[in-house]
Amino acid sequence: MTSSPSETETATEAVEAPTVHPLQEYADQVAAVVEGTATITFDTVKVEVPAERWVSALTTARDDLGLFFFSWLSAVDWASEVEVGDPFPGEVEDRFEVLATLSDISEGRRVTFSTTLSKDSPSIASLVEVFAGANWHEREAYEMFGIDFPGHPNLAHLYLPDSFQGNPLRKSYPLLSREVKPWPGTVDVEGMPGSGDEEEPVDGPSEENPEA
Amino acid sequence: MVLDQDLVRHLSESSVSVELQTEEMTLNIGPQHPSTHGVLRLVARVDGERAFDVQPVIGYMHRGYEKLSEVRTYPQITTLVNRIDWVAGYANEVPFIVAAEKLLGIEVPERAQFIRLILSEMARISSHLIFMASYPLELGAATPLFFALRERERVLDLLEGVTGGRFHPNFNRIGGVKPAYGSGSSTRKVIQDLPAGFLAETRDAMDKVMAAVDELEQLVADNEIILARTKGIGILPTEVAASYGVSGPNLRASGVKFDLRKVEDYLPYHLFDFEIPVGENGDCWDRWHVRLLEIRQSVRIVQQAIDSIPSGPLQAKVPKIIKVPQGETYVRAENPKGEMGYYLVSNGNQGPYRLKIRSASFSNISILPWILEGVLVPDIIAIMGSLDFVLGDVDR
Repeated sequence: MTSSPSETETATEAVEAPTVHPLQEYADQVAAVVEGTATITFDTVKVEVPAERWVSALTTARDDLGLFFFSWLSAVDWASEVEVGDPFPGEVEDRFEVLATLSDISEGRRVTFSTTLSKDSPSIASLVEVFAGANWHEREAYEMFGIDFPGHPNLAHLYLPDSFQGNPLRKSYPLLSREVKPWPGTVDVEGMPGSGDEEEPVDGPSEENPEA
Repeated sequence: MVLDQDLVRHLSESSVSVELQTEEMTLNIGPQHPSTHGVLRLVARVDGERAFDVQPVIGYMHRGYEKLSEVRTYPQITTLVNRIDWVAGYANEVPFIVAAEKLLGIEVPERAQFIRLILSEMARISSHLIFMASYPLELGAATPLFFALRERERVLDLLEGVTGGRFHPNFNRIGGVKPAYGSGSSTRKVIQDLPAGFLAETRDAMDKVMAAVDELEQLVADNEIILARTKGIGILPTEVAASYGVSGPNLRASGVKFDLRKVEDYLPYHLFDFEIPVGENGDCWDRWHVRLLEIRQSVRIVQQAIDSIPSGPLQAKVPKIIKVPQGETYVRAENPKGEMGYYLVSNGNQGPYRLKIRSASFSNISILPWILEGVLVPDIIAIMGSLDFVLGDVDR
C-alpha cells in the first residue's frame, strides 16, 4: 500500500504535524487532577509528577480517574556516559526516571506516570499499599537499578541471587559477554576451517592481552 | 460466595478434620515440578492439608533481555522477544515491532497487517490448546491432551509453513513481514508471499479446531471430578486482579469484559466481528471455560480475515540500515496470556536506549501469595494451572 517513498514521507510528516492529538483533552484532564505535567509521545500519555507526590498522585489516579489496573513499574537510567549500547546524542542530565503505567479496564485509557530521582541514593516511597502488584515490580527496579523503595514490605532480590553485586540495568554496568567478545561486527562470524579466514582468530591478540 | 448444593457436598467431603493436632512444616514445590510449566519454585508453610505464606521463587530462567536489548539492533531483538512466551512466540513480536514502527512513522501494508493478525490469532489458538491439554492433565484427566495436541500440531504446521519456525518464527520485519524462503509463487516479483494453499488449508484447519473444541468441551465440562476440583476454587475478585495487574483470560474470567484487541490499534481488529467471553465467579472453572470460548472467537476472526485478506505488498519501503528516531512510546497487545507491552525509549540509533518488557505471566503469578493463602494443598496445583503461565514470560 505505502511502498512508494513519497507516501512513506507523508506518513512521517503526519506524525510531526502540529495538529491537536485526539488524546490531548484526556491528557490535560489527567494532568489537572493529579497536578502534573502531561505530554503525549507517540500515542502514549505521559504525566510527570514530583517524586514527593508520587504515591498521592497515583492514588488520586486510581480513585478519581478510574485507573485502577496496575500495568507495570520500571525505570530508565538517563546517563551521559554509558558502558553498554549507545548514549543519547548531546547532553543528558544524569538521573533516574521512574515510570509506572496505570490503565482502566473498560475504555482502554492508559497513562504512564513519570518522576525523576537523583543519581545519588535514589529513593521513592513504595506503592505497595496502593497497588499490591507493585510489590514485584519495585523489587525488580530495586535490584536492577538500585532504587530504594521505603515502605516496601520485603525489598529483596527478585530474579538475581541474594549474593549478586551491582545493578545490571544501570548504564554504568558493563555487559560482560560484550566485554569478552565484541559483537556484532566484523568478528561476528568465525571463518570455516580451510577458507583462509581462520588466520584472524576471533579472540586474537590485542593490546591488553598480547598472549591470547 | 454462593455455591450450588452439589458443590458444597464435595467441599465438605474434602475438608479436613480440624480437631487433629498437626505440626507445621515447610513444603517446597519445584523448581522441577511438572505443574510449574518451567522452573518455578514455591515455598509454602503447610499445616495439615492447608497451605499458608506461599512464596514463589522466580528467576531461574532470567535471561536479561532488557539489558541485552540495549546492545542489539531492532531486527536482532525480534529473535529475543519471541523467546519470552515460547508457547505463543509469534504474538510477542508484534507489539515490539509496532512500537518501533510507531516511532519511525511507518505505515505497514494492509496485507502484512492481515497476515500478522491471522498468525497472532493462530498463536492464541495454539497457546490455549496447550492449556486445554495441560490443565485437565494436572487434575488427573489425560485424555483431553490427545485431542488438544492433535489440533495444536495442525496449527503449528501451518505457522511453520509460513514463518519457517514452529516456536520462534522471527517473522516480523520493521514495516512488514517476511515469509520463509521458498514460500509463495516462483516468479521473482512476488517471490515471498504466503505459501500456496495456505489460506485454504488454514480454513480447513479452523473447521477442525472448532470441532475439536466441541469435543474438548464435552470431555471436560461434564466431568464431575473436574467440576469438583475447579468450581468455587481459587476465586479471584476483579479489584484484587486489577491491583495486581492480572490481565487477559484470567481477568475476564472474573467477569471483566475488557480485551485490548477492542481498544488498542496495533492490528486491525476493528474490522472483525468477535465477542469477549467472560466468566461469572472468577474461579478455576471460569478460567478454563473463558479460554475454551476464546478459541472459538479466534477461529471466527481467522475465518473472517481469510475471507477479506487484501492483496498487495508485504513490506513497506524502509532503509537498509534502520535508525529509529528519538522518542518513547508504550505499545501493548492482547497476548494469549494477557497484556504484553513494550516501553521503548529510542536515542535515534539502530538499537533501543531502553526497552521495558511488560509480560503478562509476571503480573499474573504475582497473585499467587494472595490466591493460595489458606487453600488445600492439592488445590495449589489446580489454581496454579488455571492461571496458565509460562516461566519464560515470567522471568524474561
